[in-house]
Amino acid sequence: MTEALLKLEGLSKHFGGLKAVDGVNLQVRPGEILGLLGPNGAGKTVCFNLISGVYPPTAGQVRLSGRRIDGFTPHRIAQMGIGRTFQIVKPFASLTVLENVLAACGITRYPSLTRIWTPWRSKMDREMAMAVLERVGLADLAHRKAGLLPLGNLRRLEIARALVVGQKLLLLDESFSGLRHEEIQRLESVIRRIREDGITVLLIEHNMRVAMGLSDRVAVLDHGRKIAEGPPEAVQNNDEVIEAYLGRKGRGHAA
Amino acid sequence: MSAYVITIATLIAIYAIVACGLNIIVGYAGQISLGHAAFFGIGAYTAALFATKAELSFWYALPCVLIISGLVGLLLGLPSLRVRHDFLAITTIGINFIVEAMFLYIPFFGGALGIGGIPRITLFGLPLKGIGFFWLCTGFLSLSVAACWWFTRCWAGLACFALREEEEAAAGLGISPVRFKLLAFVAGTAMAGLGGALYAHYMRFISATDFSFPVSITLLSMVVVGGMGTLWGPVLGTLILSALPELFRPLVDYRILFTTTLLLLMIRFQPGGLLGETGFIRSRVAVRSRRGRP
Repeated sequence: MTEALLKLEGLSKHFGGLKAVDGVNLQVRPGEILGLLGPNGAGKTVCFNLISGVYPPTAGQVRLSGRRIDGFTPHRIAQMGIGRTFQIVKPFASLTVLENVLAACGITRYPSLTRIWTPWRSKMDREMAMAVLERVGLADLAHRKAGLLPLGNLRRLEIARALVVGQKLLLLDESFSGLRHEEIQRLESVIRRIREDGITVLLIEHNMRVAMGLSDRVAVLDHGRKIAEGPPEAVQNNDEVIEAYLGRKGRGHAA
Repeated sequence: MSAYVITIATLIAIYAIVACGLNIIVGYAGQISLGHAAFFGIGAYTAALFATKAELSFWYALPCVLIISGLVGLLLGLPSLRVRHDFLAITTIGINFIVEAMFLYIPFFGGALGIGGIPRITLFGLPLKGIGFFWLCTGFLSLSVAACWWFTRCWAGLACFALREEEEAAAGLGISPVRFKLLAFVAGTAMAGLGGALYAHYMRFISATDFSFPVSITLLSMVVVGGMGTLWGPVLGTLILSALPELFRPLVDYRILFTTTLLLLMIRFQPGGLLGETGFIRSRVAVRSRRGRP
C-alpha cells in the first residue's frame, strides 16, 4: 500500500457539547477519488473545514504527505496545494469568470512581497486560466460576470478555481447538489478527467448514485464518527450504513 | 482665473487625493471606513509639526509623513481583521473621534488653537501660491490616480477584489486576508496623509475640527457618489460634492443636508455610483457605443 497523501488521525471538532467530528481516522491515497458520505449533519463539511484550516481541530491531527498541517490558516493550506469548493457557492460575483480563475492563478505570487506588484493581466496567466476554464467547459463564458451565472456553471467555476490551487488534493463539497441530470453527467466526466490528470479528489456527496459511481472508495460518517469505509459495493450493503440512512429495522416506520 | 476659483479647485484636488485613498480601502478592499478624516488629519498634523517644530522643508518631510500615516493606518487597520461590516463602520467612527480628541486636548498638537504659521511649499526656491499650488496638487492627484490604476492591475489589487467579494473563498485561493487588508489600509491612509500634508501647507493653519467626523462622511459620500471601486469615481464625486455647494452659495448652510440627501438618492437609484457598473454615466456610454456598432 502506498503512503497516504492525506491522513486524518483521531480528528475531532467539538462545538460546546456537540461533537461535530469525533475521532475520525481516514487515509486518502494518492490518485484516488474518495467519497465522504453520510446523512445530514454527519460532520462531512466540518471535516472539510478542518482539513482546509477554517477551524482548528479540538483534537487529532491532519497530515499532508506526512507533514502536520492542522492549525494552519486557510491561505497557508491552499499554498500547500489543497484546493476546495464550497457547499454554498462563493463566486467573486462582480468579477468575470476569467478573473475569478485568475485570482486563483495568483497563488504563486501572493506570498511574495515583490511579485504582488506585477500585473495580473499578463498573456501567460490569461492563457493558463483559459486552459483551466476549457477543462471544466466554461471557456465560452469567460468574459461573463460570475454573478450572472446559473448554479451549475458556478459549481464548475468553483472547481476551476480549486483546480488551479489544488495541485495535490481537491476537496469537493457537494458539487452536484441542486444540479439537473445533464449537468450532473457533464460534471462527472469533468471530475473523471481531473483524476486522470493524477489529482487526488476527496468529495462529499449526497447523491448516492453519483457518489458510488465516481468513488474508488467511500467512507461514511454518522454523528461525527466514521462508521464504514471501503469499496462502494461493500459499504452499500453495510448494515450500519443502511441503519444510519434509513433507520433501524423493527422500530416501526417512524425511526 | 479668480483667486476664489483657484482656492476651490485646489481644495477639490486635495480632497480628491484623500477620496482616492478611501476608495482603495472601501472600494477595492471592501472594508468600510467612516474615519478617514482621522488619517487626513494625521497627515496634516505630521506635516505641520515637521514644518513648524522641526523646520523641515515639505519635500524632506513628505516621505516621513507618508510613512507615519501608513504606519498609523496599519495600526488602526488591525480592527478590520476582527470586526466586519457595520461593526467596522462603528469602530472606524470611534477612531475618528479619538484622533480628533487627541489633536484637541494634547498641548503638543496645539490644542484648541491648532497649529498656525505653517510655511508655504517652495519649489526651486520659489514659494508656491495660487495657481502654482493648484498645479502641484493636480500633479499629486495624477500620481495618486496612477497609483490606484496600478493597484487595480497588479496581483495585490486582484487579491483585494477577491477579499471584498468573498473572504472565505479568497483565503481558499491562498490569499491572506490579514496581509491584503492591511496593505489596502496602509496604501489608503498614506494617500490620505499626502492629502493632509498638502492641506496643511495650503491652509497654513489647521485645527482639530478640520478633521472631524462630518469630514469623514463627506469623504465617503464622495466615493459613493462617484462610484466605489472605480478609478475615476472618487475624483468625480469630489468634484460634484465640492462644486455644487459653491455654485448654490445660498444653500451652503444646508451642505450636510444636501450631502446626505444625495447619498440616500444614490443608494436608492445608483448604488454602484455614477461611474459604477450599473451607473447612469456608464450605461449611457454603453448604449451609445452599442448603437455605433454596425
